[in-house]
Amino acid sequence: MTSDTAVYLARKIGGAVVSFAVLLVIGFVIFSLIPANPLETLTRGRAVSAAQLAFLRQELGLNQPVLERFWSFAWNTLHGNLGYSWQFQTPVATLIGQRLWPTLLLTGSAMIVSLIAGLWLGVRSGWRPGSPLDRVATGVSLTFWSVPTFWLGLILLSLLAVGVGPVPALFPAGGMSTPGTPGGLAPSHILDVARHLVLPCLTLSLVIFAQYVTIMRSSVIDELGSPYLLTARAKGLRDAQVRRDHAVPNALLPTVTVIFLQLGGLVTGAITVETVFSWPGLGYLTYQALQIPDLPLLEGTFIVFSASVIVMNTLADIVYRYLDPRVRRQ
Amino acid sequence: MITRVLLVTLLAALAAVPSAASAGTSSSSGGSTLRVAADTSFSTFNPFLAYFAGDLEVLDAIYPTLTTPSQSGEPEPYLATKWTVSANHLAWTFTIRSGLKWSDGTPLTAADIAWTYHLIMTNPAAGTANGALVGSFASVTAPNATTLVIKTSSPVSDLLSTGATIPVVPEHVWAAQVKNLSSFRNMSSFPVVGYGPWTLTGYVPDQYATLTANKDFYADAPAYQTLVVQYYSDSDAAVDALRTGQLDEIDVLSATQYDSLRGSKSVSVYATESNIWDAIELNTGAHTQNGTKFGNGNPALADPVVRKAIALAINRRELVSKVLDGLGVTGAGYLPPSWPQWWWTPPASELEGYNPAEADQLLTAAGFKMGPGGVRIDPKTHQPLTFRLGIHSDEITDSEIAPYLVEWLAAIGIKLNVQSMSFTQLNTVLPEGDWDILMDSWNVPTNDPAYLLSVQTCGTLPTSQSTPGNTDAFFCDPSYDKLYDQQFTDFSEPARAQTVDAMQNILYQANTDIILYYSDNLQAVRTSSVSDFMFGKQDSAGLYPVQNDLINWDLAKPVAAAAGGSSTGLVIGIPIAAIVIIGLGVLVVVRRRGTAGDRE
Repeated sequence: MTSDTAVYLARKIGGAVVSFAVLLVIGFVIFSLIPANPLETLTRGRAVSAAQLAFLRQELGLNQPVLERFWSFAWNTLHGNLGYSWQFQTPVATLIGQRLWPTLLLTGSAMIVSLIAGLWLGVRSGWRPGSPLDRVATGVSLTFWSVPTFWLGLILLSLLAVGVGPVPALFPAGGMSTPGTPGGLAPSHILDVARHLVLPCLTLSLVIFAQYVTIMRSSVIDELGSPYLLTARAKGLRDAQVRRDHAVPNALLPTVTVIFLQLGGLVTGAITVETVFSWPGLGYLTYQALQIPDLPLLEGTFIVFSASVIVMNTLADIVYRYLDPRVRRQ
Repeated sequence: MITRVLLVTLLAALAAVPSAASAGTSSSSGGSTLRVAADTSFSTFNPFLAYFAGDLEVLDAIYPTLTTPSQSGEPEPYLATKWTVSANHLAWTFTIRSGLKWSDGTPLTAADIAWTYHLIMTNPAAGTANGALVGSFASVTAPNATTLVIKTSSPVSDLLSTGATIPVVPEHVWAAQVKNLSSFRNMSSFPVVGYGPWTLTGYVPDQYATLTANKDFYADAPAYQTLVVQYYSDSDAAVDALRTGQLDEIDVLSATQYDSLRGSKSVSVYATESNIWDAIELNTGAHTQNGTKFGNGNPALADPVVRKAIALAINRRELVSKVLDGLGVTGAGYLPPSWPQWWWTPPASELEGYNPAEADQLLTAAGFKMGPGGVRIDPKTHQPLTFRLGIHSDEITDSEIAPYLVEWLAAIGIKLNVQSMSFTQLNTVLPEGDWDILMDSWNVPTNDPAYLLSVQTCGTLPTSQSTPGNTDAFFCDPSYDKLYDQQFTDFSEPARAQTVDAMQNILYQANTDIILYYSDNLQAVRTSSVSDFMFGKQDSAGLYPVQNDLINWDLAKPVAAAAGGSSTGLVIGIPIAAIVIIGLGVLVVVRRRGTAGDRE
């Protein structure tokens, strides 16, 4: 490792550490500002005496001064302890751990589908701008990008989970598995989860694939007039080969940034999609936490979400340096 | 390459279609599994901590209680077969059913009941959910395996209802959990040791709980072998699941969902007597128990004339018709109509119907002169009669009601500024007293009115501004409190009903909670797969009595596997999937031919 590289890495990692410290403060301040009377929400409709309310207030730490709460929050977070959920009476880290896999499955599969579809369409559209395919692909993808996610989810539910006219119900209406199917890695369970995954994954993919289409399209258009493509054609290479082996690798660079940003956002899930499809992931956990509001759980999910974005951004910076020689020279 | 990967992905997704079609309808032909929608998501199966309806409906099925509500809501024997109360009404002696065993085979005796109650009385964590119910209990003892004695410090007329609410747990299992009761969720080890018509045998976080019928239950065991209580975070998705046979029953529907299911061949909809009211609360002045005032509520609402005028200006009948599609009853008394013995309606002479002319007259007579913009001026503060109306942003009916209220009150010279707030924000603003008028609703899950009546007592006011109580609208009237204490000592139901009527009359005259309507409870059952789910008979208005999950689940019987649904789905689904796959294949071949020149 050259000294240049070491300085570059130290700067990026140092920046990430500073960002994390800032987000600790921001996260705490934001959630402290939320008007919150969690006891009223938690005990709504139940006979609760004043003495019990006082006991619960003490138990949940609501009596602590704000500064004291901040120090214990920061200290515990730095020691890997994300606190204790008021609503679930369980460690926040355990709750996040339980819901990480469903979220990664949903957002990961949606990202793969949208990446493949988005890049494929983006390359084709950019290679022949103004063609019918370009107009249709751009129009369709931007329409889905503009549609509210929950609305699209509900429409797909009505069409594909209930059926319309002669078309029967094709997919389950919600949840991640059918009660009664064996769990673990049994093939029937995997197939069952895959069936439940189709609609939420489709909804999420339709909404996010537009950004890959537009970025890939504009990157390819930028490369169209480049002399190296003329050289490639002059060598007698066929059109598809020029596109695939010469234009696309260069046009991919901006997309890498978007991919890493998306990777960072993977764990944040998709609150609306998870809620519409009763998908038991982190997005839905955040939605549940907001309803109380369960501040330790909100702070915990915020820390995990933000930390994953910071880590992925830092990785993107590092990977970019290796992918693009121009960055190394700067 | 990308083309091929995309194609494989699409084909894989489509290949799953036929299996999905079969899954969508398998439950309807399964027969021995009853699938019902949970009212809320699940937080804990620790009965000492559980507050949410979803947790409570599971706990009711797996832990026993001293008594249980009958179909008419009256407490009837469960663990206790009979009971007597001393002449001074301070000592209750229960005879406990003998020969019962917990699901692990350990005998269930009076000692388990005494231990559970004693723990709730002495351990603050154990009292989290039900501590207030045993507030006047002096002692609970078990002289022998079949006798339980409860002594109270004052007469308690709702003790049998309390006995139907507090779940009893096995001492031999829970004694080890006492130290960490606050953090024990009872969600990781199955089957859960309990006693009831059902045994909890599984739980998948944020999805569903699986219960198995207890064949050793003292009464008739349920007809179903398995019960799945599943939570759908989107209620429309739950309705979709009901239509397609993934669910058998939903007991909370909106009027729109109810109407949309009306014509269904496989699903039947039911409306039951309302056990919920919707109201507007008027802030008459936030204050602590010792009279310290706080909050920024408009002082004009402390004037009974203004409150009465507001009550007169509201057309409740139109709200029922427009907002509820007629599925409800116009509001008046504080307790909803689900329990006829407590339902009170004011005498016709006092019934404050829709009468804006009288409201107008009242305000004019009280010196509220009309000011600029058609808004009256408060003669004391010389400020326009403008109030904030806080509505729940997450309640559709609130936003439907608000425009009507704005229009009706504008007609009598009162301006409303609608403020949409989340449930949590509203709960925060309420105890701080920083509001004028709020939309609110309460339900009475059991037939005993004591808890809902307690919300209006002076004891619920905050002790200080920084420690909010559980008051609703800072109402406090010593004569009401006196009657509240009295109804606990009325051991004959008619006498108690008379006292409760008098209390409702006080609340009605005060106009701090102006009840708009009682909405019918709307539910739907997939009658193509389940029979005998509902109990009771329809009244003249077509309403069933309010239902009880535990009784419904016990009564429900599977309908013999019906032909049609699933096979029809498959018959149509498979060809559609095949056509789409073949179509894609043809498309690829045509495209490859079209670009063959390029490749050469």
